[in-house]
Amino acid sequence: MRTTIYSQVRLAIAVCVVMTAPSLSVAHDQVPGKQQQRPIVIKGATIHTVDGPTIENGSVLFEQGKITAVGKAVVVPAKAIEIQAGDMHVYPGLIEPITDLGLREINAVEETSDTTERGERNPNVKSWVAVNPDSELIPVARAGGVLTAMTAPRGRFLRGQTAVINLDGWTVADMTLLSPAGLYVDWRWMEPTDQDDKKRIAKRTERHEEFSALIAEATRYGEGRQANPSDTPTDVRLESLLAVIAGKYPLIAQANDQATIESAIAWAQSHQLKLIIYGGYDAPHCAELLINYDVPVIVGSVYRLPMRRNDAYDTAYTLPARLQTAGIRYCIGGAGAGSPGGAAAARNLPYHAGNAVAYGLSRNQAVRSITLSAAEILGVADRIGSITVGKDATLVIADGDILETSTNIVQAWIGGREVDLGSRHKTLYEKYRKKYSR
Amino acid sequence: MRSLVLLMFAITLGLIQVASAQSDVAAKPTEGLRDNRPQKFALTNARVVVQPGQVIANATVLIQDTAIIKVAEQASIPAGFLTIDCSGQTIYPGLIDAYSELEVPRPNENESGHWNSNVTPQRSAHVVVDEAKKEFEKTRSQGITVRVVAPEHGIIKGSSSIVLAGDTDSGRLLMRSAPWQHVSLTVPKNRPRSSYPNSPMGAVALLRQTLYDATWYGDAWRAYRANPILPRPETNLALASLQNTITNQTFIVDAPNERMALRADAIAKEFSLSIALRGSGREYRDLDAIVAAGHPILLPVKFADKPKVSDAAAARNVSLQELMHWDLAPENPGRLAAQGAVICLTTDGLENVKDFLKQVRLAVSRGLDPDTALAAMTTTPAKLLTIDDSVGQVRAGMLANLVITDGDLFDKKTKVLETWVAGKQFRISPPKPKSSDSLIGRWLLTFDAGDSQVEAHLNISQKGEKLAGQLAKILATGQDGDTEEVAEKNDTDEDEDTDDADAVAESDTDAEKASAESSKAKSAELKQIVRQKDRLQASVRLSDLSDAFESGISQLSIISVDEGDDVMTAFGSIRLPDGETQTLKIAFVDPEADDKTDSEKDTKKPDEDPDESLASHTPLLYPLGAHGRSEPIAAATTVLFRNATVWTCGEEGILDSADVLIRDGKFVSVGRKLAVPDGCTVINANGKHLTPGLIDCHSHMATDGGVNESGQAVTAEVRIGDFIDHTDITIYRQLAGGVTTSNILHGSANPIGGQNQVIKLRWGQGMNDLRMTQAPAGIKFALGENVKRNQSRYPNTRMGVEQLMRDQLLAAREYDRAKRDYRNGKRDGLPPRRDLQLDAMSEVQRGERWIHCHSYRQDEIVATLDLLEEFGIRIGTLQHILEGYKVADRMKRHGAMASSFSDWWAYKFEVFDAIPYNGALMHDQGIVVSFNSDDRELARHLNTEAAKAMKYGGVSAQEALKFVTLNPAKQLRIDEFVGSVEPGKHADLVIWSGPPMSTTTRCEQTWIDGRKLFDLESDRQMRERDGRLHATLVQKILDDKSPSKSDTKSKDVDEEDRWARHDVYCTATGQNYHNHTQSERRQ
Repeated sequence: MRTTIYSQVRLAIAVCVVMTAPSLSVAHDQVPGKQQQRPIVIKGATIHTVDGPTIENGSVLFEQGKITAVGKAVVVPAKAIEIQAGDMHVYPGLIEPITDLGLREINAVEETSDTTERGERNPNVKSWVAVNPDSELIPVARAGGVLTAMTAPRGRFLRGQTAVINLDGWTVADMTLLSPAGLYVDWRWMEPTDQDDKKRIAKRTERHEEFSALIAEATRYGEGRQANPSDTPTDVRLESLLAVIAGKYPLIAQANDQATIESAIAWAQSHQLKLIIYGGYDAPHCAELLINYDVPVIVGSVYRLPMRRNDAYDTAYTLPARLQTAGIRYCIGGAGAGSPGGAAAARNLPYHAGNAVAYGLSRNQAVRSITLSAAEILGVADRIGSITVGKDATLVIADGDILETSTNIVQAWIGGREVDLGSRHKTLYEKYRKKYSR
Repeated sequence: MRSLVLLMFAITLGLIQVASAQSDVAAKPTEGLRDNRPQKFALTNARVVVQPGQVIANATVLIQDTAIIKVAEQASIPAGFLTIDCSGQTIYPGLIDAYSELEVPRPNENESGHWNSNVTPQRSAHVVVDEAKKEFEKTRSQGITVRVVAPEHGIIKGSSSIVLAGDTDSGRLLMRSAPWQHVSLTVPKNRPRSSYPNSPMGAVALLRQTLYDATWYGDAWRAYRANPILPRPETNLALASLQNTITNQTFIVDAPNERMALRADAIAKEFSLSIALRGSGREYRDLDAIVAAGHPILLPVKFADKPKVSDAAAARNVSLQELMHWDLAPENPGRLAAQGAVICLTTDGLENVKDFLKQVRLAVSRGLDPDTALAAMTTTPAKLLTIDDSVGQVRAGMLANLVITDGDLFDKKTKVLETWVAGKQFRISPPKPKSSDSLIGRWLLTFDAGDSQVEAHLNISQKGEKLAGQLAKILATGQDGDTEEVAEKNDTDEDEDTDDADAVAESDTDAEKASAESSKAKSAELKQIVRQKDRLQASVRLSDLSDAFESGISQLSIISVDEGDDVMTAFGSIRLPDGETQTLKIAFVDPEADDKTDSEKDTKKPDEDPDESLASHTPLLYPLGAHGRSEPIAAATTVLFRNATVWTCGEEGILDSADVLIRDGKFVSVGRKLAVPDGCTVINANGKHLTPGLIDCHSHMATDGGVNESGQAVTAEVRIGDFIDHTDITIYRQLAGGVTTSNILHGSANPIGGQNQVIKLRWGQGMNDLRMTQAPAGIKFALGENVKRNQSRYPNTRMGVEQLMRDQLLAAREYDRAKRDYRNGKRDGLPPRRDLQLDAMSEVQRGERWIHCHSYRQDEIVATLDLLEEFGIRIGTLQHILEGYKVADRMKRHGAMASSFSDWWAYKFEVFDAIPYNGALMHDQGIVVSFNSDDRELARHLNTEAAKAMKYGGVSAQEALKFVTLNPAKQLRIDEFVGSVEPGKHADLVIWSGPPMSTTTRCEQTWIDGRKLFDLESDRQMRERDGRLHATLVQKILDDKSPSKSDTKSKDVDEEDRWARHDVYCTATGQNYHNHTQSERRQ
């Protein structure tokens, strides 16, 4: 409806960005954490294990990057570093399930953005090869307790492959938990919205057939390559689809509208592909399909406007509670509307979950939805997501309920490595406090 | 001048027509032999409708050349007249179509016109008569004999012409120029969006300035003629023409929605103009105000297309507003006329003019009085056009413009037999009366029906190119679970939609009859089947299947999932008539497709009797659609809120277990254990928290004026206040987040933007009721990246921004001086021209208009404060001010206040140093700080935005809450009225479920001026009401047999949907926004 103005403004911006873009390749000041040397025990805190009951006045012990004991009374090894954390809360590190963190620095400065590859079919591009470990946005997210994120490209249709990364490390190799983690697709491409019924159905059919044909081509390509590589020259796009077809990682389809969600499920099932829905605004209306095929939903932010004028004002706010009631697997993602969004607002993830509590979700479920549920859906629950013996020591100490805005993160570890909670923001804050205290 | 000439021409023409058939009617010499065949006709035995309400049962009409010379009962027929027997026929005055439009060439740029190409009042539609003629065969088929042709596109568009709908040369067709100048309050759709104006606000500002200029033009020439020593003013044909219209003619103002109608009225009053409205068909949404304005309305009869509700998912995407509009729009003419509005019915907006009478008849069947309808196409437009001396009635002396029908004009079966235009007969020929699929086979469906379950077979078969489907209830015969279907016996009965109750049970043999009676109505046809690759949608009457279902139409959706290896799984759901959606069990039972249906022929004719001429039972809601109010909010009374934790945001701080008393819309007292006055409502707020209503100091909602007028670097003349959209659903959504007052700002496209408007979120009240009248005037300034980005105009740097602002302040000073001098008698120049842009700037200088300045970087902040101080101006607020923390001391010295984001950053380069500690750092330096939204969603939780000042920098909860209450009130200079819970202030308050700074707290009630505008209970009731209404209307659509227009070209975008509701210049790339709203339907 309003595309004309937008495209015009975007054009204007694109032009000006080219003219004025400064070169930005500065590193942030935070130093990646050291390998854990000595055992660390956090004592006297409220431990939100997430996969078990919350332990009041409990302890967590971790050694060589792994959690080794959790409970009321923990045997503390010699030479352990003891942290007295009375009145404090310990949570697993928070997980932002879809973000462009690391792929972009400043939205309006195109040179600093690597989110969107050219064209509609980019199943082959890999988000993690473009993640800048020195992005200023990473320490800011971390300071909010977000220690892990799935970083994902953008684009019109087949956007590329995602990766689950920890938000600390010298290189992406240090950071990576799982790659590839999924093929990110904008399913709205598959559901055109032309007013004219005939045109819409024709276009829709064409797109469905095209995508099916691509999968069929990739399958034939794979068979050909296996039989006789010299007869079948390489094709990086088709090559990249083989792992998806083999079920090694899922399709992550952005879909909010009921028909779009249904279409994604029907298509994925008919091609025997694993599926995750991102967005999920209408997901409760698709409960039967979602449950029958065990398709989980990443809620594409709680702080969202209703999609339709008719919808209740709190439709997006109550979405997590309604998914919970319907028995659909889900986790909560942050940084949708309500701010410039994306990576710059990743630190606000817990408030999306907090708002879901105001609108019907239990506090425990809310915490689970940004920790363990996310880890399960993203395929990294063996490593992170709960405070469980054997998992990575990826956790935070907060000075209050992590869902509350006024709470601060006071200490954090990723795989036992202590994280620098400083950021560009704190540095500037300290600098200008000095100005006014002189 | 030109119109005068044409008028005289027309009068002369008229005289000749009546006086002598033999005289020449044109100057052109005859080539060859003269043609003087007599043009004399006697229409006899006709029922003649002389004018609305005046009928002669059996009359003769004598026509000679172009005129009617006699209308009488039993008139004798003079010699030489051709008698035409019109027994059984009715003669009506020829219809007048008071609006159609055509593109008229613009005057050449060198033609001494207006500087802005949207202003072409000197343009006249007479140059396109030949073009207009191309449509006349169609218009005649609808009985239209005279048509107004107006110039399309533009803001001051030009004058229209009145044209006879005949087929002769343009000289004989052109009656005269209409005394009408056409005006639009928005930007034409065919214009590029780069030049000024490119927003509705800008269009109105341009119109306003031009009207002043036209008056000034007259004054300047008068002054010059009186004293030729003065500088000679320019000759400007546009202003000269407009000056004539202002004094002598009528402006036809486009009102593409109900708000535009009221805006047109405001302009008419501001300039004392005579206007008529070119209506939209949406006037019923604000009927009383529009009728009260008293302007005639040229009314389209294009009503809404039928919304698409083919299945539950599609129905969900259709808003209640759209459904209600579809239902109510045909009543618009009737409702307006009943209230006393003067209306003309026009073909405006019809895709096919040949639908005109059909649509008019629909309006009549939906409540428009037939005589009024006829008047709206004859006498009323004739009078408005001042041609009532020659057309509009069947009367001697008038032009022989007639419509001859075989019955009542408003009866849908009546045909137009002939149309006569200026004595020429046109016979109207009446229009001639008027696809291997995996789902094929038999499926077992299980429905829930009340407590029991109903099983049915769904037989899907191929029928020509389409699919056919039938549901058949399974009858348990009691033997070995053996089942039998009854339906197949009935499936030859195609008479599906008759009201004949026996239709279904009709069968041939006795046995079948018996079987059918024992369980009557066991099969149901699927209708409106839409098949796509992986889904099938259809509607069905389940009540035909079993009495267990309520009557009405249900919508069936089947998703077919091809799981490979020839395995097909289907998922079904059905949306019942009450709007409930039910999941179905579906199983495939019989791989053999039903093979006999292919041979069947669809012999059924489309039913031609859809409507029952009933007024809709759909209630009006204000605003129309979901969450609208059915009645005005009750007046403010006396209310006591008992036992809440009260965050006063005033001297009293936070009071536990306190009471708050409000009366007549104001806070009366706050304290413990207040006495309950007589007649007071007591609200138990035990355990709840009560705060002042939240105030958003930076918003772009509730305006359909475009937010940005970016066509020029300085647009101080444009006014957000001209374009308040009180129907914006965002208002209700933000009320539900506790917002009561909002500062609606112009965007940041230019260094000096438009004037802002502070509103209260009085959802459900009229357009003009939202303005907060106590708020002083303001204006948007903007610095930095957004305003220097346009490479085609000045400025391109922050240096240039400072110079531009300086230059405007200087210009305003000099403008003031010139005006003062002239007032004081100095006459050495032309009278000074009123300049709305400089008016606003001089108000700024006089301290009557506060600057709200978009700013980010410390250098631009300091430069602006330096500049303003040089001119002795104190700034209203610095908006965004994300580097305010770097220069808080300088801001403090100026007395600047800061309205910031809590934690936005990194969306463009100038906000890379933005930090969330900004608010706390400025606050600690003694600056009045607020956190604003600049965003439709974020404004719904400003309370937790304020909590970020606690997290980042340790501001106390009490002080942090003031960031969204008292502090923005101070910044907008309205803290005398709002911002805290203190006696004497407006009773704007919020009841929260818990501590207001907690993310896990929700807003439960919002009050404005002592009236409850939001609460959870009435929200719940509205949802139920809206759901019921939605379901009822979807039923009505499914039941409606008129053809759906869904396959025609995509419809025009509504005026209000053409414009952004946020500052597109602020979100830098717009990418996030775009990503988020791509799937968002029209709001």
